[in-house]
Amino acid sequence: MISALALAESLPSMGKAPDVLARLVHVGKIYGAGEHAVAALSNASLDIRAGEVTLIEGPSGSGKTTLISILGLLLTPTSGEIWLEGRNVAGLGERALPPLRARNFGFVFQGFNLFPALSALENVAMAIQMKDPKFKKPRDEARRLLELVGLGPRMHHLPADLSGGQKQRVAIARALGGNPPILVGDEPTAALDTKTALSVMELLRELASERGRAVVVVTHDPRLERFADRVVRVEDGLIQSISSPSATASH
Amino acid sequence: MWNLARKLLLHDRLRFAVAIAGVSVSVMLVLVQVGLYFGFMDTASSLIDASRADLWVGKKGNESFEFATPFDERAFYKVASVRGVRRTERVLMNFAQFKLADGGDLGVQVVGIETVPTEKSLLAPWNVVDGDARRLSEPGAIVIDRSEYAKLKIDRVGHQTELSGVHAEVVAMTSGIRSFTTSPIVFADMRTARSFLPQVGGEAVTYVLVQVEPGEDVDEVKARINALPHLAAYTTKEMSDRTRSYWSSRTGVGAGFFTTAVLGIIVGFVVVGQILYSGTLQYIREYGTLKAMGARNSAVVKVILSQAMISAALGFVVGGVMAVGMKKAMAGANLTVALTPELYGATAVITAVMCSFAALLSIVKVLRLDPASVFKT
Repeated sequence: MISALALAESLPSMGKAPDVLARLVHVGKIYGAGEHAVAALSNASLDIRAGEVTLIEGPSGSGKTTLISILGLLLTPTSGEIWLEGRNVAGLGERALPPLRARNFGFVFQGFNLFPALSALENVAMAIQMKDPKFKKPRDEARRLLELVGLGPRMHHLPADLSGGQKQRVAIARALGGNPPILVGDEPTAALDTKTALSVMELLRELASERGRAVVVVTHDPRLERFADRVVRVEDGLIQSISSPSATASH
Repeated sequence: MWNLARKLLLHDRLRFAVAIAGVSVSVMLVLVQVGLYFGFMDTASSLIDASRADLWVGKKGNESFEFATPFDERAFYKVASVRGVRRTERVLMNFAQFKLADGGDLGVQVVGIETVPTEKSLLAPWNVVDGDARRLSEPGAIVIDRSEYAKLKIDRVGHQTELSGVHAEVVAMTSGIRSFTTSPIVFADMRTARSFLPQVGGEAVTYVLVQVEPGEDVDEVKARINALPHLAAYTTKEMSDRTRSYWSSRTGVGAGFFTTAVLGIIVGFVVVGQILYSGTLQYIREYGTLKAMGARNSAVVKVILSQAMISAALGFVVGGVMAVGMKKAMAGANLTVALTPELYGATAVITAVMCSFAALLSIVKVLRLDPASVFKT
């Protein structure tokens, strides 16, 4: 298992910041070709640091999803570099990406995407096992993670028997399976009421502050900014600004 | 993986039940149709298979076992004198009219055999369940299978009747001896059989059964007999295979049974394929999430294949039990379904292959699933 700190220390070539877990350098993505080419993202550079919560905001179609898809190694950029584990992984082939994703990323989605036939414990254990078939005692690890997100008493319940907030906590526990240093959330609070949304964000904040995870969340909800260390504003495929809730710095 | 596959299948019980029903019907159809085919083939060659002869000698050019052309008895003596032949027996087969108790007539297949007082005959009624088959040497004595009793309106051993106007008495009853032609088989001694079959002449023989001398090569003796004019010799195995082949290919019965079996496989394939595919579509975002988080394609494919194998295993068990029920039901209609371990083994393999292929569409869907798609909706 690679801890966030160990991973951060393994990035000497990424420059002076030892807590940088991943780095996008001048990344661009163009869909289509010729007259039909559409630039979804241009010249995006971003550091993802251990212990930080980064919010990515912007209107629909601005390039937020493209940005986190590239960051999460789900989408190959047309240009630029993605630095991870001390090397540029932008040009790696399809077969090399799943293990990299398994080691480095956990994903949380608006729709939870939990198997309805499986209990919370089984959902988490199964994800751990599928990420690493050699993982010993995945159910014990799943139990530990569900207790970590406050769902110990309800770990044997099916998703249908859980509230929206509880489902998202299961999804977060699942994302933590395999101990990835970076959590990527695609509007993880959008389907939740305000109180539940804030409690989920509090959990993500704790995971960053107390457990050293880097949390990257796409959101439309400005109320979540108070949990963030940095807010990345994306518009028209460009990173317009990277700011902290207290001080704004021009990108 | 098995646990996940089982839970995904069982989560929608109705869909799971439909999948199992599809596989079960498919398995049952394959087992019953192929079993019926082998049952018919066993019936077609049962007389040959039950004989103790090394060689069957008939007239050259015969195609059908039952409708073979008789030849003159002098050939019997020629065969008996061939070097390496230890023992020969005559068989006469032809059709006669059996007088029913209500005054009607029914065509039967008379099988005239030699009753040897000192030695067991090379061909004799087997599975005797009532009466005494040794009485066949008595004039007019016949042996008939119990499955034909109702058709021939016989109520017991000792029943008196006429064949071609000649008096006959049922002296023994067998079990499980039936003719592929559907005409009941009536065993009789050679002399009695000739009296029932005046149309073939008093010195006609249909087959000569040969037992070769110990230590003699059967094929060499066969070659010597084949050198005789107008005769063709076959080993018992060859004769059995020829008969099966004749009924299977010339009548189209084989194609008929196997077409139905193939249709069964297609039905199972379509049902299981559709069920697995709809299940895969239902969980496509969950599979996408797993792939996004680094699950390899092989791991996700294993889940789908496991579902296919669970459906195959359960469907095979249920279909296998249904086939046994069908076999019992068909036995009442005098139909033999030969459910052998080999047939069950082959059907198990076919079922596994069928379900694996049925899963292909789902597997392709998952393999092509772009993990980034989970971000798009």
